[in-house]
Amino acid sequence: MEKIKYLGEHLWVGQLGHFFILLSFVAALFSAFSYYRHIKDKNIVWRNMGRTGFILHGIGLYGVIGIIFYAMVNQMFEYSYVYRTVSDALPMQYILSAFWADQEGSFILWMFWHVILGIVLIKTGKKWEAPVLTTLALIQVGIGSMLLGLYLPFGGEVSIGSSPFTLIRDVFEGPIFSNADYLSLVKGKGLNPLLQNYWMTIHPPVLFLGFASLSIPFCYAISGLTNRAHKEVMRPVLKWSLFSAFIFGLGLLMGSAWAYEALTFGGYWAWDPVENSSLAPWLLLVAGIHTNLIANNTGYAYRSTYIYYILAFIFVVYSTFLTRSGILGETSVHAFTTMGLEAQLGLFLAFFVLLGIVKYVVSAKSIPIKEKEEELYSREFWMFIGALVLLFSCLLMSISTSLPVFNKIVELFDPEYIGKVIEDQVEHHNRFQIWIGVFMCLLSGLAILLRYKALNWSAYSSKATKHIGVVALISALLTFLIASYLLRPTWQHQALLFTGLFTIIANLDYIIFFIKGNMKIGGASLSHIGFGILIIGILFTGLNKQNISKNPFITKDFLEGSAADKAIVLIKGEPFFTSKYYINYVGDTLVANLRTYQLDFREVDKENQTVSEFSTFPSAIYSTDYTKIEAVNPGTSHNLTYDVFTQATPPLHLQDIENAQMVEDSLKYLSHLVTPGEKINEKNYKVDVIAYDFSHDFDSEQHSDIDGYDMTVALHLKVTDERTKKVYDAYPGLGLKDALIFQIPDIIDPLGIKLKLGEEGFSNLFTEEDQLDFVLYKLRPGESIMFDNGLISLGGFDRSPEHPNYQPKEGDIALGAQLSVIRKNKSSVELKPLYIIQDLQPFSIKDYNTELGIHVRFNNIDPNTGQITFAIAKDNRNSEPMELLIAEDVPRSDILIVQADVFPGINLVWLGSLMMLFGILLSLLFKHQTKSTALAT
Amino acid sequence: MKKTHVIAIIMLMLGGVALVLSSQNLSTYATFDTAIQTKLKSKIVGQLSLTDPIDYNPQEDPNRFSFYLVDEAGVKKKVILQEPKPRDFERSEQIVVTGRMLGSEEFLASEVLLKCPSKYKDEELALRNTAG
Repeated sequence: MEKIKYLGEHLWVGQLGHFFILLSFVAALFSAFSYYRHIKDKNIVWRNMGRTGFILHGIGLYGVIGIIFYAMVNQMFEYSYVYRTVSDALPMQYILSAFWADQEGSFILWMFWHVILGIVLIKTGKKWEAPVLTTLALIQVGIGSMLLGLYLPFGGEVSIGSSPFTLIRDVFEGPIFSNADYLSLVKGKGLNPLLQNYWMTIHPPVLFLGFASLSIPFCYAISGLTNRAHKEVMRPVLKWSLFSAFIFGLGLLMGSAWAYEALTFGGYWAWDPVENSSLAPWLLLVAGIHTNLIANNTGYAYRSTYIYYILAFIFVVYSTFLTRSGILGETSVHAFTTMGLEAQLGLFLAFFVLLGIVKYVVSAKSIPIKEKEEELYSREFWMFIGALVLLFSCLLMSISTSLPVFNKIVELFDPEYIGKVIEDQVEHHNRFQIWIGVFMCLLSGLAILLRYKALNWSAYSSKATKHIGVVALISALLTFLIASYLLRPTWQHQALLFTGLFTIIANLDYIIFFIKGNMKIGGASLSHIGFGILIIGILFTGLNKQNISKNPFITKDFLEGSAADKAIVLIKGEPFFTSKYYINYVGDTLVANLRTYQLDFREVDKENQTVSEFSTFPSAIYSTDYTKIEAVNPGTSHNLTYDVFTQATPPLHLQDIENAQMVEDSLKYLSHLVTPGEKINEKNYKVDVIAYDFSHDFDSEQHSDIDGYDMTVALHLKVTDERTKKVYDAYPGLGLKDALIFQIPDIIDPLGIKLKLGEEGFSNLFTEEDQLDFVLYKLRPGESIMFDNGLISLGGFDRSPEHPNYQPKEGDIALGAQLSVIRKNKSSVELKPLYIIQDLQPFSIKDYNTELGIHVRFNNIDPNTGQITFAIAKDNRNSEPMELLIAEDVPRSDILIVQADVFPGINLVWLGSLMMLFGILLSLLFKHQTKSTALAT
Repeated sequence: MKKTHVIAIIMLMLGGVALVLSSQNLSTYATFDTAIQTKLKSKIVGQLSLTDPIDYNPQEDPNRFSFYLVDEAGVKKKVILQEPKPRDFERSEQIVVTGRMLGSEEFLASEVLLKCPSKYKDEELALRNTAG
């Protein structure tokens, strides 16, 4: 293809961006190398070069970020990344979300945090700066290579990384690119509406800070091994691990809160591969923190601390590999697009696995080990077991999650092999992890009541036994009491409930009787209590979750289990009773492209007395052109002890324009030619044609584009349901917009009929001014005349009249004649034609009544007699015929398909998780105290 | 032997047991024929038959949705899902249903997973269309 000179592209932006990517990549490499040289020969020059390299790397990266934002804000759709994430209609507040919505952006976010953490380490790392930054810079080289977008000279399609500055014309092929001005045709794809919420703004940065902070313990571990400074490394690394556990935990918690609040997964945790693969490193990190504490307090467990920290980072990289290589395929609800980086991600993973193994094996001999075994009654022994349980949990979870990887590997050797899948992920994981929960609770309760090194056990044993015994007794009692509130608990559930209570009470006991409420050293206990509360919350949400959208009156012809009825259909304004709730679909409102439904709940007791009332507001998001519902958001009512979670879907023909057209095409319209005053009699209904209405206020929520019409007319109908004798008002109409006529149909849902007007009828209704037969009448105030079977009388004058077509000026003379038309049936209508003299020019403004069809003009006023001349005419629009189209058996549009679940105890889950994190934060802030007093107790 | 080693070995054994136990939870992607034979709960991968009726009438029963699926062996059966109709159903490229056969003609599904065309393909089409 010959070269085309394209118009409107900003190629310099991409070139500058590429330069920054290369700069940051090369500088990271240089920094790693220089720091490494500094470790070898301790030359301060190498350290300074390392620093400079790292700072340059940061500058390059921030340059990349700046350029991407620049391209996004200016909507340079020639760049594929901008095209994928930004659109004309994307509100500015989501520009951050758009930045990390896709893979390249999230890699950059990860690196961004590494740079910040790296700078903190340069400032505070002291002798650890060089070794830690060597590894950190190497990690940056690895991630940075994912962004290079360099095509290798051989093999054609093989590339290193995927650049965020790739042009769309290099990604897609198509005849469009033979047009030099293709850019004027391209509009951005924009951010998925599901991601257009504040969670997408806050969750990814926190989670990625979590990911990034987890690299630091790894870097310290590698440094400790390299320098063989095993004892020294354990103290500085602990504060980073605590920091990471806090932030990473917060990121995970936000993720599950997002899933619960805004997504339609119907829960806060689904054992989805993406969730599992981020939980796994956190579990390892927590295991590492526990062995790190053992190491600091007793000198045991150096080796396992190293192993946990190294593994935790490797699992982060592994999770990146799993979620970005597309290998998970259909096992996850998260959608992935592959970047073609599988091999590169695999290499990245392999490199750090090897680095970890090699470093560990080479230095393993120098790691101090205590010959003497841990005492059975020591805290460290049980903590160590606890860490092992965490590792075990992580491995169980990861092996199941890796099944697709295993399938791929077997398929390499045996192409005939058919991949295996787990039937029910949730059931599978719950079945095993429940035991993990039991042991974790038991151990975290037990270990806290024991002392490090079993200090003075002979004297302490009676106290410890007494406390453990009493705690166990109270827990057993409470288990007995609380279990009756759980729905159908098995013995495993009861065991978990008991151990959950055990750890809460044991740690409370520790706070009260051992550390006497000194919360500066109570971080660990607080976290353990939080864990216990979380476990109990999980039990309640898991067992007592109840679907309340059940229709007790439908009997299924093929009943199988409770899965049968998940949803009910609600009709607007008709409350539906289901398991102690009346649910009423009140209505909906449309703001921008968000349609929010209001569901009113009324909970009643056995005597049908109201117990509580609340509303939920599930919603649906339309695409920017309103042709389709892109996403639905649940609505939740929060209460102290339970939440009610609802999800609403409108019927098919309201979901997208294709379905709407399909339904419309399937309707059979019967045509009637009607004039006001006539009747149509059908079998099920009767229609009285009342009159034309030229100022009908169409329901703008049903017709979102109603404001755009230049002129509308409605035909007022009264439709009587022959079965129920109920009468409905209907206003099918026509609208004029830019010389085009649009139909504005009306639907009577209870009757299932849809009414439209024939477009041709529109012009009949508007009699042109010169075709009206005006008759002149002279009137004085108080006088009347007969006109068209009615009495028109002149009441008085309005001396400062207002009218949209009249702009008052200084020196004007303006007069409005107050006319009233009294019809035979005594109803009266007011008319006010105006007479104005402006700039010595007289003119009049006509008034007319659309219902009567009467037009009145204020022609002149006789100064001598005080008589006023009116020109009055009547048009015959109300006797004009109109084509009325009626279709029967129309699908209802006032229905809503609703699913509702009651989630009890969800607040325990949030409370427990937050306490866990807060405990970690406490330990981080008051770490030095923990250390000294832990030894003393 | 140290106590911790004993416990670690016990855990490894438990882990082995867990793996064996969970391997019973595994299934392969089946076809309608194997599902008829085994009568077991199975996962079937297939494509939506657009020429056959796709029935969903929420006014009658919001939890019953039926369609025809052609499995990878080319066999077509009616699938009944006891859930509301998923959005974008017609656009799916591939459908994974979990459930069991009712007799030999109908498949009762408890879960449906849709694989929709990736948004990039969609875009490519859009680009081509704009130009064409």
